[in-house]
Amino acid sequence: MIEILQTGIHTSIQDIGRHHFKNFGVPVSGALDQSAYLIANSLLNNSPEAAALECCIKGPKLKFHDDFYICLTGAEMNARLNDEILKNYKPYFVKKEDILSFGIAKTGCRTYLGISGGIKTEKVLGSRSQYKNITSSDKISKNTIIPIGKSNFKPAVGTRVKEQKINYANKKIEVYRGPEFKYLKKEQQKLIEKKIFHISSLNNRMAYQLKEKFIHNLPQIWTSPVIPGTVQCTPNGSIIILMRDSQITGGYPRLLQLTESSIQLISQKTTNSKIRFKILPKII
Amino acid sequence: MIDLFKFEISALNNKTILLEWRMDPSDTLLEHLIKFKSLIEKDFQVNRCVTGYQSLLIEIKNKIRSLTYWEEHLKKLQKKNKTIIKGIHWKIPVCYDLKYAPDLLNLSKEINLNASEVVKLHLSTRYRVYFLGFLPGFLYLSGLNSRLYLRRKKKPLLKVPKGAVAIGGMQTGIYPNISPGGWHLIGNTPVNLFNPKKKPPCFAKPGDWISFEQIDSDTYTKIESEQKNGNYQLNKI
Repeated sequence: MIEILQTGIHTSIQDIGRHHFKNFGVPVSGALDQSAYLIANSLLNNSPEAAALECCIKGPKLKFHDDFYICLTGAEMNARLNDEILKNYKPYFVKKEDILSFGIAKTGCRTYLGISGGIKTEKVLGSRSQYKNITSSDKISKNTIIPIGKSNFKPAVGTRVKEQKINYANKKIEVYRGPEFKYLKKEQQKLIEKKIFHISSLNNRMAYQLKEKFIHNLPQIWTSPVIPGTVQCTPNGSIIILMRDSQITGGYPRLLQLTESSIQLISQKTTNSKIRFKILPKII
Repeated sequence: MIDLFKFEISALNNKTILLEWRMDPSDTLLEHLIKFKSLIEKDFQVNRCVTGYQSLLIEIKNKIRSLTYWEEHLKKLQKKNKTIIKGIHWKIPVCYDLKYAPDLLNLSKEINLNASEVVKLHLSTRYRVYFLGFLPGFLYLSGLNSRLYLRRKKKPLLKVPKGAVAIGGMQTGIYPNISPGGWHLIGNTPVNLFNPKKKPPCFAKPGDWISFEQIDSDTYTKIESEQKNGNYQLNKI
């Protein structure tokens, strides 16, 4: 078990997502940076579905009640085990009574804490990912205890994947053209790639809204399915990038669609980060 | 004659296909989409399928190799579309008393009707469930009487209460949980539309019918407590 001494800014339990209830209007949820999340599990020899903690901007302070192995991936967040500074992408042994604390993210924005055996809170609709009105809370709470599964994991001597080369400061967000892109005028189609956008303070697990407006002539559409990474454009020109907690249908025109790796990259960005869309050739 | 078998195909990303029908939503299209969706979901190459008013989104297991292959494959599959969609008709109790209907008077004024006429018109329609979205358990319903159309509020409410029955634009709906929302609240139902602990988590599905039944606030309280104790049964027609 793990005890939550302090929660951090927004720390939540996340896994691979809740995929099978979309037809009931249930969002996918799950770790925003799926790549970092999956690496944490694989370094601990966990199943890819093992739930982990997603820490955003400032992580929590935790106390271990048993012995485990842990592994941090994603953003660098000045993690300390008692007094020892921890590196990302390396399994560490933690003992009963040890305390893990985090500082503020230096690079990126989301850090994943994988634990050998995985978090074993109750599964709701096939997933442990926290989401309001599906799980009892949308984030972890102070002074609560989180159950952890069993594992026989022992790292091979010197296990550590090569430092991840992902540059979280990279502005380039790769996208495909969305279903309504074709209705933009030629000069608007060019402008969307030229313009530097900034992420506004309205950014969370549900969606990232951009600061700059994009004036367009897109038609209204009948409510249609959307997926994480869909870029919507409201009638007044606000650009909204949907993330994994977003609704599964939307009524705004769908301008662009982020690639899976761009969703991971943008989930490591926060307020004021600059981005620039790079349109990829047609998929097929 | 509208050609239900004619759709446009595109790829949203390398594992997601979008099918769009260039026609206005209708019950005929809805039933076609429901049947087509159930055939698509049986295909071993497909993970799942999500519907909109005039579109289907298909998530496939492996990367799309060729859209032409999928177009032909889906066209063949679509031809097998023969089942009949009946749909269940659910009767949902709603209390239109002012304490449950904070916007009823204002909406009535805006559309030049009195409150009892609004309620009567709202009760007089059998609505069709098109699909679920926006919030877990939120039903997209069609069939609102055009005299009740009213554009959404300029400023959305941050906390619409659970069970609120509302009108927004050309649509009516029920908020399954507390959420922000810009629709006009004209009543409230004690019925739980979404329960993640239940299988399925929502009783209604696309193709079903919904009508509303007026109840007083005593009945509201009674149904609310019956539901808490787990011995409330929603009426089917």
